Amino acid sequence: MDWKSRLRRVTRTEAFSGYALVSPTALYAILMLAAPLATILAFSFFKDGYLVVVREFTLQNYIDTWSDEIFRAILMRSLIVSGLVTLVTVLLAFPIAYYVSFHVEASKKSRWLFLITIPFWTSYLIRVFLWKVILGYNGVVNSALLGVGIIDTPFQMLNNVPAIAITLAHAYAPFAILPIFVSLEKIDRALLEAGQDLGESKMMTFLRVTLPLAMPGVVAAVLIVFIPTIGDYVTPELIGGGKLPMVANMIQAQMLPLDNKPLGSAIAVSAMVVVALISFGFVFMNRRFLRGQK
Amino acid sequence: MKLPGLRLYALVYLLFLYAPIFLLPIFAFNDGTIIAFPLKGFTTSWFGQMFGNDTLARAVRNSMIIAVSSAVLATTLGIFAARAGSRFSFPGKGGIMGLIMLPLVLPEIIVAVSLLVVLLGMGMTLSVFTVILGHVLICTPYAIAILNTAFSSLDRSLEEAAVDLGETKWSTFRLITLPLVMPGIISSLLISFTISLDEFIIAFFLAGNEPTLPTYIFSQLRFPKQIPMIMALGTCLVLLSIVLLTIAEYFRRRGIARSGGKDTGGFL
Amino acid sequence: MTVQSADRPSMIEFQDVHKYYGDYHALRGITASIRAGEFFSLLGPSGCGKTTLLRTIAGFEGISSGAVMIDGKHMEHVPANQRPTNMVFQSYAIFPHLSVEQNVGFGLRRDPRSEADKAKAVAEALEMVGLKGYGARAAHALSGGQRQRVALARALILKPKVLLLDEPLSALDKKMREQMQVELIKLQRQVGITFVLVTHDQEEALVMSDRIAVMFEGEIAQLADPETLYRRPNSRRVADFIGVMNFLPATILGEANGQIQVEAAGLGRVEIETNQAPGAISEGEASVGFRPETLTILYEGQTASDRETAGTIDEVVYYGDMTYYDVRLDGVDKPVRISMRNVFGRPVLDIGTRTRVAWSAGALVLFR
Repeated sequence: MDWKSRLRRVTRTEAFSGYALVSPTALYAILMLAAPLATILAFSFFKDGYLVVVREFTLQNYIDTWSDEIFRAILMRSLIVSGLVTLVTVLLAFPIAYYVSFHVEASKKSRWLFLITIPFWTSYLIRVFLWKVILGYNGVVNSALLGVGIIDTPFQMLNNVPAIAITLAHAYAPFAILPIFVSLEKIDRALLEAGQDLGESKMMTFLRVTLPLAMPGVVAAVLIVFIPTIGDYVTPELIGGGKLPMVANMIQAQMLPLDNKPLGSAIAVSAMVVVALISFGFVFMNRRFLRGQK
Repeated sequence: MKLPGLRLYALVYLLFLYAPIFLLPIFAFNDGTIIAFPLKGFTTSWFGQMFGNDTLARAVRNSMIIAVSSAVLATTLGIFAARAGSRFSFPGKGGIMGLIMLPLVLPEIIVAVSLLVVLLGMGMTLSVFTVILGHVLICTPYAIAILNTAFSSLDRSLEEAAVDLGETKWSTFRLITLPLVMPGIISSLLISFTISLDEFIIAFFLAGNEPTLPTYIFSQLRFPKQIPMIMALGTCLVLLSIVLLTIAEYFRRRGIARSGGKDTGGFL
Repeated sequence: MTVQSADRPSMIEFQDVHKYYGDYHALRGITASIRAGEFFSLLGPSGCGKTTLLRTIAGFEGISSGAVMIDGKHMEHVPANQRPTNMVFQSYAIFPHLSVEQNVGFGLRRDPRSEADKAKAVAEALEMVGLKGYGARAAHALSGGQRQRVALARALILKPKVLLLDEPLSALDKKMREQMQVELIKLQRQVGITFVLVTHDQEEALVMSDRIAVMFEGEIAQLADPETLYRRPNSRRVADFIGVMNFLPATILGEANGQIQVEAAGLGRVEIETNQAPGAISEGEASVGFRPETLTILYEGQTASDRETAGTIDEVVYYGDMTYYDVRLDGVDKPVRISMRNVFGRPVLDIGTRTRVAWSAGALVLFR
């Protein structure tokens, strides 16, 4: 048996080297991510006992979750807020990405991107809190309006959905700008000249050439904003004043103060499934733009 | 083709992005306990208050331990994955890399909750260590994204040339690969450090009774009396972030310039 | 240039070398021998396996079956860093974080000589490639041609038995490329090391090599010295790849006394020597091929030394020192290309001119 040379032959292959190198990171992701996610999934089918989890299969958590009006209302609110945030963020971000990609000199592009990403890396909690200061009853906006004399009594701008949407749109701005920027950068500028050369106006060239080619970036931006915002905890807590909880706040309440882990898991899994279905639906709807793209 | 409207919009948008950050130092130096206009006068006493606070000191110490450990571990794991991803093809690569990069899009609350359930189930006590476990998970995808650029802009024939000139696999890595991707590694360490230092949800779930900077800030936001001090703390944190990011950006660009590549954009 | 190399001992032997990438059969049974001290080229279009074959010599690619021998030694278990070969990479692979000196001296790290001796060796190597005094420069500040020289010095300083060059001139502009071709030939004569060059540029291969292996789809189509390759390519494919060749349809009538009788369109009945049919064809439908410079357009008053035919000029392409005429020979639809050196006082002919064309049977090659 020439097992030694056979072993050497196996260990020399490219696939083996790849697996060997990626294994520490992959193992970590499996232990710390895949296994916990699987556990949550399993827990969601278990019974809750007092302080312990009873390992007995049941669908009761899902029945409880979905028959709970509060859950349905909160999930609906989360979806609406996230949808709104996504719409606002992407619409606000597209012109910026377009500006940096098409109207900024090549040498200054990375400076602009750096400028755009800096706020994203500064303390999230404090940024959210500052929006509370800006929008508050005697906050920046109200005192400015009062000072100029446009209004007599301050606006109530906090504790509502638009306030949450503005705060999140601010927080996720770079996530929307960067993918759109990348897809705009990939567009061969000669295509646009060709569009105009073939008699299209600038506007029509934008609609018929630029926009379809930028769609993969827009789709990525939508997903990368929509999915994490559904799970945001801090903004509803601070800006919504705790009166407009979203799914994350509900999961937190079940997991920590109420300590009903199976129900909390069922809520988490339900929310994830809904988000995943919406995301797949969205990708499917845009598949004609994504074809041939990588 | 010039569009003055678009340029104006871009500037207004930047103002929108930076508005909260501009306000931060204004209130940090404002001599009033209420965070509102009009301003009351100049003071540095909020900064002084920070230094006498024991819980804050503990939070800073914990956050530093967490951020440094997470940065080192995430970057190490990132080096393995980025090297494997940029150099080798193997069956199931897409799936494996997808799983590793998943925390980038997964809501953090899901990561936090699922880790909490498993760690408690294993009978572990929540501590600084459990936060590190979670932070490594969410920092690794960012580390990989940065290191991928560094590794894939590295001309493969440079390593082959070193082997051709008599070096072994390991000495090639030490003499050629490591020095050339070092800017990427430094950049990855700094970014991971910044993410970990700023992360709230996972720390909130997994830290147990140990305060970290964000959980401490969150707990203090309920007390109006504490807020001016938090503004001062925030100012320090923002300054620290900007300094770290500027250094990271410097190394990222230097890395690209060194390996002769083309700068294609930001961190993500 | 080629005469003396024939009796040199073999430096590299390929014995039925096969290489698979998954299902893709990249090298399909390569058997060849490269002689010690010769300038050998692997020539072919991209994807023909020439670079793969070069990398099996360096040890960067394993082989699926067969054997590679260098200087009589089996290379199967010899890793790349222990082979007596050094390589000049297509991208030059100059280490960007090291100085010119450090690059050139990189391979001397394990050399037991003293630092002073090593520094001397580096200086000599730099002088040899014409970069004296460049030692302290940063590598990334060099021009393409200078990088090329650093790569050469870095490889040659180790005195390898074989120097491998992977398309080393493809990144240079035309002038620089021609200059480097001459320098490489001189350098090779000076050091006497076996050079193996990979190139897709037939002109470069013809200019530089003692012998050339033309490769298509993982196989060697023909291995010969430049003149044989040019004059007697063994297939239409090789003929097409190297230079320009005209083809005319022909019918073989018979073979006798080492002569093949052929009826060729536009040329008539002609006898071709059997060694002018390297594809070993002796009956049926064939084609005759000839290079553009083997035909001559006859001007008023000139007479053919051998044979002549007639045609009409279809297209004229003026190149300065040369003019290319596409001439439609009487009785043939497809024009043939004829190249004429421009001589002072002789006019360039116009399209549509009737002309007589001189040719010689000895220049014809018979193909399947």
